[in-house]
Amino acid sequence: MIQVENLRKIYRLGSVDVPALRGVNLSVKEGEFVSIVGPSGCGKSTLLYVIGGLTAPTSGRVLLDGVDLGDLKEGQRTELRKQKIGFIFQRFNLLPTLTAFGNIALASDIAGTLNGTTRSEMNSVIQMLGLQDRLKHRPGELSGGEQQRVAIARAVVNRPKILLADEPTGNLDTENSEVVLNMLKELNHKFRQTILMITHNPEVATYSDRIVNMRDGHVLDH
Amino acid sequence: MVNRMVFANLVTRPVRTLVAVMAIAVEVVLILMVVGLTSGLLEEVAKRTQGVGADIMVQPQTTSLFMGFTGAPMPIQIQDRLAQVPQVEAVAPVMLQMSTASGVSLIYGIDTESFDQVTGGFRYLEGRGLEQPDEVLVDDIFAHSQGLHAGDDLELLNHPLRLAGIVEHGKGARIFMKIDALQDMMGSVGKASVFFVKLSDPDHTGNVLAQFREILPNYQLRDMREYLSLMTSSNIPGLGNFINVMIGLAISIGLLVIFISIYSTVVERTREIGILKSMGASKKYIVNLVLRETTLLTILGIGTGIGLSYLVRSLIVHTFPTMTILLTGEWMLRASLIALATSLLGASYPALKATRQDAIQALAYE
Repeated sequence: MIQVENLRKIYRLGSVDVPALRGVNLSVKEGEFVSIVGPSGCGKSTLLYVIGGLTAPTSGRVLLDGVDLGDLKEGQRTELRKQKIGFIFQRFNLLPTLTAFGNIALASDIAGTLNGTTRSEMNSVIQMLGLQDRLKHRPGELSGGEQQRVAIARAVVNRPKILLADEPTGNLDTENSEVVLNMLKELNHKFRQTILMITHNPEVATYSDRIVNMRDGHVLDH
Repeated sequence: MVNRMVFANLVTRPVRTLVAVMAIAVEVVLILMVVGLTSGLLEEVAKRTQGVGADIMVQPQTTSLFMGFTGAPMPIQIQDRLAQVPQVEAVAPVMLQMSTASGVSLIYGIDTESFDQVTGGFRYLEGRGLEQPDEVLVDDIFAHSQGLHAGDDLELLNHPLRLAGIVEHGKGARIFMKIDALQDMMGSVGKASVFFVKLSDPDHTGNVLAQFREILPNYQLRDMREYLSLMTSSNIPGLGNFINVMIGLAISIGLLVIFISIYSTVVERTREIGILKSMGASKKYIVNLVLRETTLLTILGIGTGIGLSYLVRSLIVHTFPTMTILLTGEWMLRASLIALATSLLGASYPALKATRQDAIQALAYE
């Protein structure tokens, strides 16, 4: 499903080159729930963004479903992201002006399936995440756990094949973290979505099928 | 969904929305007021001039359509030469003089007998006709604006005068006095600015004009039926340029404010744009979002601008009853299209900037 080959990414800060990824190799099978664990600055977020097509690698290859992202133009990468990838962020990244329902429906609108997605499909995700009573609230009126559940609903409403989660429990307390992680696990089982989760917390990583460790832009094992 | 997001953005940032709407409204008001004031003035002058009831107007060659800008260079003896032409029923010499005593007003110096023959005579609402050199007549609108009544004293052209009567408006000017008195005041004895000619049969206007051309080859001879259509800004030297400059100024204001408003919105919403990009929103989707928001702001601004224009017109006309402001559907449409084009132009760069933002940097934006 996800194939990463000798991936390198160098950021240029002024006149200084800062290598974030130094030849990463990684393979994730369809339906697998993989955690990438490592300390801050080890390149795990960069790896997630490159896999998600948000930024291009300096060298190396990323193949999603056999498609090499390097062969795609920016517009094509956007299209692929729209169809196949859902992002979950540590800071939730909900649009503050929209209600919870608006944030979830926005994903369907961008994917062009708002009219096609039946309300029952959207409802099943909303029910599963326990958001039915919070739909009319704006993000500012929701707790951190609720906001992250809305963000998950937004990420999965179009049934993307791949979920990329960047520290999804980083801003949550233990209780809400457990709720969110169990939901990710349930989504993985129920919809067979491939999940790649980044965390610096080894305890969080235990919810996944497999743990990949990263240090200084390298994958230590996979 | 995009509309919901656009609406939510406008509601969530009420001050920014209000500033942008008011900027567009000011643009629309400026355009409508400048055009409305000039066209209103022109139409009002034209209608009053037509209201004299003449069939032909004789003026010096170099005179402006907008009467009053010319002095009194024509010898009054022309009256007798014109009166001898068959079909001519009456010829009224009129001397024109601008007064700035109570706003800008046109004074007609008239020979009461011939002017009554051409116009059919005044309808007096108060007082009587002109008898003495120091007397004036004013129309009801001017009298109302100045709170004047028959018998009142007033000062015009630095001369103390007395109001003999108030007449119904619509016969050329708002202020009338005897032509010889005005000639004396202005040092133009024996001169006239214009001759109004009444024919026994208006169908002979063409023939009479042809004969006038033989007698007065170097004068401007106008068929009064064409006069109203000629009173447009394009026929008044410099006026078209003035209107274009003012419209340009209005456009500049609208363009700058919309640019700043949308640009600041895009900067403020950098993170949101990053979120949209991470969700797979295309450039087209983001540009559409920004331009729809601009269009909605513009529509609100246009509506507010048209409403404000009516309000401003009411205030101006209430304060200065002699002024006419013409708000036409045609210019409302033009002003709306100008405002819309200006806004979309002003928003296009910020919209493109939004699409070019790096998604990762945008997501990290605080």
